[in-house]
Amino acid sequence: MSMQRIIPIMLLIFFIEGTIFYWLLPGNLVSRVVPHFTLAFVLFASLYRGRHTAVLLGLSFGLLQDIVYYGNIIGVHSFSMGLVGYMTGLLLERKRSTLLMALTMILLSTLVYETVVYFVYRVFRLTHQTYEWALMDHIIPSLFLQLGFVLVIYVPARRWFEGTAKKKGEEEEE
Amino acid sequence: MFNWMRNRRMFVLMIIVVLFVAVMGFSIGDRKKLTWPENFVLDASGVVQQWFYKPAGYIAGLFEDLTNLRGIYKENEELRKMAAAYARDKNKYNISEQQNKRLKEDLNFTERQKGLNDYRYLIAQVIAVSNDPYNQTIRINLGSKDGIQPNMVVVTRDGLVGHISRVTPFSSNVMPLTELDDKSPDSKQYAATVLGKESLSFGMVDNFDAETGKLSMSRIAENDPLTKNDVIITSGQGNVFPQGMIIGTVENVQVGDIGLTRTATIKPAADFDHLTEVFVVEVPSMEETAE
Repeated sequence: MSMQRIIPIMLLIFFIEGTIFYWLLPGNLVSRVVPHFTLAFVLFASLYRGRHTAVLLGLSFGLLQDIVYYGNIIGVHSFSMGLVGYMTGLLLERKRSTLLMALTMILLSTLVYETVVYFVYRVFRLTHQTYEWALMDHIIPSLFLQLGFVLVIYVPARRWFEGTAKKKGEEEEE
Repeated sequence: MFNWMRNRRMFVLMIIVVLFVAVMGFSIGDRKKLTWPENFVLDASGVVQQWFYKPAGYIAGLFEDLTNLRGIYKENEELRKMAAAYARDKNKYNISEQQNKRLKEDLNFTERQKGLNDYRYLIAQVIAVSNDPYNQTIRINLGSKDGIQPNMVVVTRDGLVGHISRVTPFSSNVMPLTELDDKSPDSKQYAATVLGKESLSFGMVDNFDAETGKLSMSRIAENDPLTKNDVIITSGQGNVFPQGMIIGTVENVQVGDIGLTRTATIKPAADFDHLTEVFVVEVPSMEETAE
């Protein structure tokens, strides 16, 4: 599948995060189970497509989230998503990742992403919770959600991103 | 060659980091006007989010109604009692309002002073809610074209939700009370008082504790009559926020940090979860100063 079709899907997922998914969550889980669905796509891109695609996707979708929910600050999610996408790509883009490998990598990267976001907010003094509390309150519950989401979309997402990578590779050979 | 590539990569990375720090530092704090790309993204996404949020809310509301069906008779009975009480109070209110009006005229109030408490409530639909635990922005579908301005107060039927933080032509972002933080560089503070003891009581609602889910009101004087179960409302002093919006009820009062003042823990009156409709309070004097 080409990028022109993946981006609308990601946009759709992004809008669902703040609207339909929010309604699906029971009231006491809101802001404890945080969806990182667009981040999952960015990480799939970095695993199966390449770090440059991933960094571009991460920067743009992070920026979208920053602006759409502009409260205090712009740039936190953009920075962390781009950074995490790039780092994951740098580590693993050339290797053929299996399901287990991809799962572990995506969960680790999500953890890193949450940590980066937390520390940026901390540096700008917009949050005063301790890291341990943030970990227990929302980071770990969100990881479970991310695990479920990645398991559900693993097969189609891998096909979409690998398909484009292969095509691109062939084009380059020509 | 490889060395040059590495240097270039480091260079690009550093430029990006510096750029981001600059953007974050620039975007933090009060900004009167947003730039056009921000306006465009906010308004365009607002339209799309509206399509999703409302139907989802309706469907979720339907299921909630079905589960609530059992309690409905009891609720109805209570509501009837309340309606009767309101009807009684209305007579009393009408009399005192007329008296108030007459007294204001006797005392030669200016037009501006008379209109000071004529708030207009603009109904707004919620179109999306941020999932980020550090930034729980609520988006509504009224913007500067509908007369919305930054720092207007947003309420539900139960009480105060928050204030408008960012405005674009067709949508605006609401910063809920849960974002209040007395240590943050640009957090707001609400001047507050006790319902029924407006002239005696004063404090600032300035912090929300995410761990307990309670607000705190600081700088209460030592001789303040504030006690447990008092209803806290905005006092309107400071002329930023309107008067008489319910914030919550006092749970306990303890001695503050320095020992000279006291701090109260407040249970918020409004439910911040799964909002569908909110009211934006338009203060007449705010409109005048803006023009």
